[in-house]
Amino acid sequence: MSNYDAIIIGTGAAGGIVAGVLAEAGKNVLLLERGPALSFSEVGRDHLRNQRLSIYGHNAGPDLEGNPRVFVDPQGKVQTVRPHQPHYHNNAACVGGGTRVYGAQAWRFLPVDFRMASTYGVPEGSSLSDWPIAYDDLEPFYERAEWELGVAGDGSALQDKLPRQRGYPLPAVNSSPQTVALRRGAAQLGWSTNPVPLLINTKPYGGREACIGCKYCVGFACPTDAKNGSHNTMIPRALATGLCTLQTGAIVNSIETDTHGTVTGVSYIVQAPHGTEVKKATAKIVVVSAGAIESARLLLNSRSSHHPNGLGNENDQVGRNLQGHLYPRAYGLMREKVFTGIGPGVTIATTQFNHGNPDLIGGGMLADDFIKPPIDFWYDSLPPDLPRWGLANKQFMRDNYTRVLHVRGPVQDISSPKARVTIDHDVLDRWAIPVARLSGTTHPETVRAAEFMQRRGEEWLRASGCEKVWSYSPGLVLSGGQHQAGTCRMGNDPKTSVTDKWGRVHSHDNLFVIDGSLHVTNGGFNPVLTIMALAFRSADYLVQNRL
Amino acid sequence: MKLTDEQQKTLRAAVDRIIPSDDYPGAWQAGVGDYLAQQFEKDLLPFFDTYCTGLASLEAESRKQFEQSFSSLSDEQKDAILNQVEAGDVVATWTVSPQNFFKLLINTTAEGFYSEPQQGGNREGVSWAMIGFDSI
Repeated sequence: MSNYDAIIIGTGAAGGIVAGVLAEAGKNVLLLERGPALSFSEVGRDHLRNQRLSIYGHNAGPDLEGNPRVFVDPQGKVQTVRPHQPHYHNNAACVGGGTRVYGAQAWRFLPVDFRMASTYGVPEGSSLSDWPIAYDDLEPFYERAEWELGVAGDGSALQDKLPRQRGYPLPAVNSSPQTVALRRGAAQLGWSTNPVPLLINTKPYGGREACIGCKYCVGFACPTDAKNGSHNTMIPRALATGLCTLQTGAIVNSIETDTHGTVTGVSYIVQAPHGTEVKKATAKIVVVSAGAIESARLLLNSRSSHHPNGLGNENDQVGRNLQGHLYPRAYGLMREKVFTGIGPGVTIATTQFNHGNPDLIGGGMLADDFIKPPIDFWYDSLPPDLPRWGLANKQFMRDNYTRVLHVRGPVQDISSPKARVTIDHDVLDRWAIPVARLSGTTHPETVRAAEFMQRRGEEWLRASGCEKVWSYSPGLVLSGGQHQAGTCRMGNDPKTSVTDKWGRVHSHDNLFVIDGSLHVTNGGFNPVLTIMALAFRSADYLVQNRL
Repeated sequence: MKLTDEQQKTLRAAVDRIIPSDDYPGAWQAGVGDYLAQQFEKDLLPFFDTYCTGLASLEAESRKQFEQSFSSLSDEQKDAILNQVEAGDVVATWTVSPQNFFKLLINTTAEGFYSEPQQGGNREGVSWAMIGFDSI
């Protein structure tokens, strides 16, 4: 058995950063990842099996076999689902986690996003709450994430809403015909717009090449390594110290405690020449960074006589408040071609409606979209009144793939304690570990906000010159997916939260959760930069105060 | 897993109405049949029986309504039957849900036509050239 300063479970947006900060501070780190490290060609370019469109599988894990989850729909119907199927709420399982294949939008949350309950009140049935920290506490760490990983954006934009000390290290992505149209439309409506900040090298940065404008950001890996995730920034830095041991293919089955109930380390399973082998490692600190669903599952599965309901779950809080984003989406037909074939594709956003909407709690951001592979477009983007087959369908594709403007965006989730991760003890994964059971839905207030944003999307497209406009909104469903968050939220009161403001589990001095699970609310934005900023902040805390 | 010759004929006639030829090739010429043949060996294996039964039912539907094989019907007749299948408004006895079969049929036809040529369909990227996916 080996002893480490820290064991970190998960190499995604948060885990990779914590590993980098700790190792560079001279700490001995064991970094565990359930998936493999994947090369560009291993991720591949399969249009039917990727993290954006996963009809038949995934390109970045987890394996379709042996990794089920149980999903309970709003009517109470229970089904066992595989990783590529609807309702699994998958995130990639490989070195880098979701950052290996994400679109890489790099938004900060707004100051008011940290004060949702005191700004709006708490609607009945919701667990909406303020964060125990403020935007100002996180601002230096947002900046650090932007500079250490590399974000392209316009630092002068949004200064009134999002005060920042320092601009972005990289210039924003170039405009395209759709940017021009949407900017003109927004101006006509009196809406402000700004370039979408992206963790993408618009110029060479951090020893990596610039983006070459291919069409494959979301769901795929970058051919020039210009998309910045934990796999190509902080994890290589961690490994370069010689102090970080990265173990891939490691399935953590429990966090270990001693006879007093104190956390001592982890037990994990790896492939061995003849079957599997259970290994144990001890550490001063254990950091759970497995993503909101798997982090909650691991805490809940780590049961002992001291902790019969799982670690940190004395108050039945672990796994609750699961949230991601509902995505209303609108499409419009332009007279002229707006598609250039130059990626990433997403260029322009409005934050006009993230807050301050009459009779609504929160709201969301709207932006144009990443380039969609044609089959993705066929499934996702066609008007509801178009026949699904026949010449009309084919000719719509022929005439309009390059003329459709896309607008979509994440709506702030109004959390529900009933949207949750529990354990299904009757369904086991390949390693005989009980799987995550997902149930509940977001709060109906989220749906109202999503429908409001859907109408704003339509309005934006009409003002931008679209002849025909159509749109979709998701309805009352469980939100989670790749933006999953909230299941071990931070707070000052152990009765309504799982960790303190540093991610330390209230009932355990040396057990930390550091990932999207901590988010008290998930903003009306892609959450990854907030996950990264929290990781830098908590990792600094560990170095300065605990190790 | 392989379709019988008769099922293959029905399939070809059906997918060519789902994505008909115009200035650009229709589904079959673009390789949708090859895509499906590949997929019947892997991802569509669990749906192979649905496919076989659905195609046989489509054939039965055609014989019942027009006393002819589906592949020998006029385009208008084929479309009339496909519209009925889509709506579940069928006359023959179907042992699979006509709507489910039809959804499977149109989705997998589109997959073969619009996904990358390495999947077996979209021969030489013909659908991408058609829609402008490769243009700068």
